[in-house]
Amino acid sequence: MPSPLDLADLPFLREALLELVLLAVTGGVLGAWIVLRRLAFFSHAAGSATFPGLVAADASGVSPTIAGLAVALGYAGGVQRAGRAAGEGGRDHGEATALLLVAALATGVILASDVFESGAAVDRLLFGTLLGLDTADLVLSAVVAVIAAAGAVALGRTWSAVGFDPDGADALGLSAARADLSLLVLVAVAAVAAIPAVGVLLVTAIYVLPAAAARMFTTSIRGLVACALGVALAEGIVGLYLAYWLDVPAGPPVAMLGALVCLVLAAATGRSAA
Amino acid sequence: MSATAVRVEQLAAGYGSEPVLEHVTLEARAGQSVCVLGPNGGGKTTLFRVLLGELEPTAGSVELSGRPAYMAQTERTRLDFPVTALDVALMGTLAAGRWWLPPRRTERDAAAVALERVGLGDRAGVRFGELSGGQRQRALLARALVQDARVLLLDEPLSGVDPASARLINRVFDELRSEGRVLLVASHDVESARSFDLVLCLNRHQVAFGAPAETLNRAALQATYGHELIVLEDGGGTRAVTVQHHEHGH
Repeated sequence: MPSPLDLADLPFLREALLELVLLAVTGGVLGAWIVLRRLAFFSHAAGSATFPGLVAADASGVSPTIAGLAVALGYAGGVQRAGRAAGEGGRDHGEATALLLVAALATGVILASDVFESGAAVDRLLFGTLLGLDTADLVLSAVVAVIAAAGAVALGRTWSAVGFDPDGADALGLSAARADLSLLVLVAVAAVAAIPAVGVLLVTAIYVLPAAAARMFTTSIRGLVACALGVALAEGIVGLYLAYWLDVPAGPPVAMLGALVCLVLAAATGRSAA
Repeated sequence: MSATAVRVEQLAAGYGSEPVLEHVTLEARAGQSVCVLGPNGGGKTTLFRVLLGELEPTAGSVELSGRPAYMAQTERTRLDFPVTALDVALMGTLAAGRWWLPPRRTERDAAAVALERVGLGDRAGVRFGELSGGQRQRALLARALVQDARVLLLDEPLSGVDPASARLINRVFDELRSEGRVLLVASHDVESARSFDLVLCLNRHQVAFGAPAETLNRAALQATYGHELIVLEDGGGTRAVTVQHHEHGH
């Protein structure tokens, strides 16, 4: 059984740990709003929808970050626009999220299998490489953590008013549409930042599961943010140690741990993780 | 004579090319209360949306004494959202436009005073979802009071409210009128409309507008509600009630 201190001593583990800390900050701040505004599906979809952009970037030599950001921002704008046009009260994003996700995934599969024949690169895009990060990945995660924290501080009162009572928020002169779009864009950008570490399929593990767990035992927004951050940090550190110990990729243990914590808390508190 | 706080002239409004409301003309002076009666889909919400500036009129004009405050129905709120009664009252300060900054001390004080005024001073820290129905309605009233608006738009403020809360809310309404504020109250309760200064009857157009004694007659109410109106005859006179279900419409 390896020493837990190896997480701080070994350079590749130290970088992975730093990445998880940065993602935990973003996850704690944004995850709370993702859960409160019921955007869990969107946050998963925003990561997955970048798949065609990442496949194309991988084959053509374009920066995957730029390609992923372009697709994710386009996806967020498309979901918000389609949701407002189609949903009840203009704010139902669920169907628009699913529709655009299916279109993006289908495009990605065609690009990967028939156009670029990406092969092994697809695995890395889908599940990430937490133990193979470079400095640019860490810088991106740090920048996104700062943007997420600043955005939540500046927009938190508006998101709260819109989430609590959309009609009442409109009457206060707040733009519910702009508030929704700002949150969707931040979640999409955060999803792209997490892709190098956990891949497009496990973004939910970082941004949704810790906040969903914290939601079951907190009664205030501040408490939710603080506890989501703490849970994300704990799950990241323990998951990374388990990956090191069991010699498996780090993303899946972090995700499994997140799901397990949610299930245990749901059973203990009698509240739903959904 | 008091100054005019609300003036609407030949207003028409709708969604897309379909007009939902036409030919609305009304005027209310400082300190007056207006009961807006109408069936579901009759145009009450559309009128409020125009007054709030959320919907552009397709014809006519609207003049208001400042930006109005709006009190929504509690059914439109999320009871699972982790906000306290004080948080809800504080949301009213967002109307001042400083949404990107934390609330100032003066704004916190104003929210606390508003909660005291609606009898929730000792419930400020209680989560909104844990309040009773009447207390929730009072918390939403506190959010409207914090805005210090000259004109208040109130959507079914006494719907589903317990008698004690209803008395308290009505007392606050009386205070607001004595301060010179104008109250426009959307309601289904024909009988309670008699206690207002003015009554506006809507059914996709203006059926009647004026003092209750002039507007609350059988012909106007039947034109407003049609088959949803029941007139009860008893020993002391007649009483009108509506049989519509409570729901949201135009």
